[in-house]
Amino acid sequence: MPRDARATCLDATVTGMALSVLAEVGRLLEALAASGQPGAIDLRSLPLTDADREQLEELLGRGEVQAELELTGRSEVWETAYPGAWWIRHRGAGDRIAAEEIAVCSVPDILLAHPDDIRAAARRLQHDLTTQQAPSAPEAGATNVETPHV
Amino acid sequence: MSDKKAATRGPLTTPPSTPVRTPVQTLGEALAERGVSRRSFLKFASYTASILALPPTAATAIAQGLANARRQSVIWLSFQECTGCTESITRARTPSIEDLIFDFISLDYHHTLQNASGHAAEEARMAAMEENAGEYIVIVDGSVPLKDDGIYSTIAGITNLQMLEETVKDAFAVISVGSCAAFGGIPGANPNPTGAVPISDIITDKPVINISGCPPIPEAMTGTIAYLLSFAAIPELDHLGRPKAFFGEAIHDRCYRRPFYERGLFAKSFDDEGARQGWCLFEVGCKGPVTYNACATLKWNGGVSFPIQSGHGCLGCSEPGFWDLGGFYKPLSTAKGDPLKWAGGAAVVGAAVGAASAYAARNLRKKSLKAAAAAATPPTAEEKE
Repeated sequence: MPRDARATCLDATVTGMALSVLAEVGRLLEALAASGQPGAIDLRSLPLTDADREQLEELLGRGEVQAELELTGRSEVWETAYPGAWWIRHRGAGDRIAAEEIAVCSVPDILLAHPDDIRAAARRLQHDLTTQQAPSAPEAGATNVETPHV
Repeated sequence: MSDKKAATRGPLTTPPSTPVRTPVQTLGEALAERGVSRRSFLKFASYTASILALPPTAATAIAQGLANARRQSVIWLSFQECTGCTESITRARTPSIEDLIFDFISLDYHHTLQNASGHAAEEARMAAMEENAGEYIVIVDGSVPLKDDGIYSTIAGITNLQMLEETVKDAFAVISVGSCAAFGGIPGANPNPTGAVPISDIITDKPVINISGCPPIPEAMTGTIAYLLSFAAIPELDHLGRPKAFFGEAIHDRCYRRPFYERGLFAKSFDDEGARQGWCLFEVGCKGPVTYNACATLKWNGGVSFPIQSGHGCLGCSEPGFWDLGGFYKPLSTAKGDPLKWAGGAAVVGAAVGAASAYAARNLRKKSLKAAAAAATPPTAEEKE
């Protein structure tokens, strides 16, 4: 059997892991609903086959929100069909998946604008208005240079 | 070892209000100026948390730790080595989230990568030591020869031993990358003609982190550095001084061929029907059951594959004395004799193989450690005679 075919056989195996992950998502959602406690599951650390991953993605479905981010490589975030359960996929070199998790929270941190960035943005816009120049949108990927990351 | 060596970083935890030297930019400030956004930091932190096997919720703490850290001075010493470890950590790729770690360090001395040479190179090393006393990290690849006063490897007119002791004196921590620095490696293989020893045999008053492998997995090296920067502390280590995040499990335990092992389905030779079917490579010499590393999970070349996935058994390169284990193509059951012999027999009956091999693996591991320790010990005058 050609090696690629063997790999396909392995990747096509459904191990049942997706159902286990789904149950864990359910427990995390219950905790979020009861106490507001966020949680997350690192998918990369689990022995998921490609078929498992597809099954999990299918079982969780897609909700109303999805976002694509350009952050030193592409990232995708979407809310699953179960509000509060978010799928976050970070891609690295060669567009391969570098990190992947299911975050159970109101909104993933990576989508939120940081207060320092908001303050810096306000200052920048005010500066643009007072100098009567057209607002200068930063280039894609640029950040606010006035404040450090926190 | 982990408890003994666990230590928080003194100088780097000094509050910013009482700087030891002229205040310098935090990583967050420096990278913000270069257009690296806060969200990119968080993305890198998620990636780092994942490879370190930390909960995803640790990403925020990692991002904060990195943002507030100073750019880390690193002095890289290369002794009896082949430069494979450097090749591994610096593999050319398109700029990506995985490479962000290189923006976090200042590589102040590295034979292969630095522009300076000769006296200028050595002056750069001395300057980095002086400017960052107590804070810099020394990374070492290669073993140190001790036989005949260490004359078998010298740099800038001094022996490797002299350079190591001189450089480490004011370091915060030492990272031994590669099996040569961690365990003596190939220079220390039988009959060890140069009296090669691992770094931990020489440096006993500083934390020494071993990241073994021939070469080590790049993420094991960069992830450990990221941990040091994020938490200002030494990660949890196993009994051989290796970060448990990367060396906590045997390759066999996370191998995708493990189900075949459990069912007693083994390739008997390369390219036989079993090999074509992707069965377990135990009987063609795979050392996965006694080798602790993250190859089966992190894989190589950006997650493309690892040796077993490519059809070759594990060589056990991250274990002490791997070169002298008895043969890369001899099964563990015969490579080192009796303790493993019955494990091979049990392998035939499948179900019993797991427990048998685990027992055998423990014995082989003990023997490997003894062999490595013996190989690392310079012969006495009587033995020489």
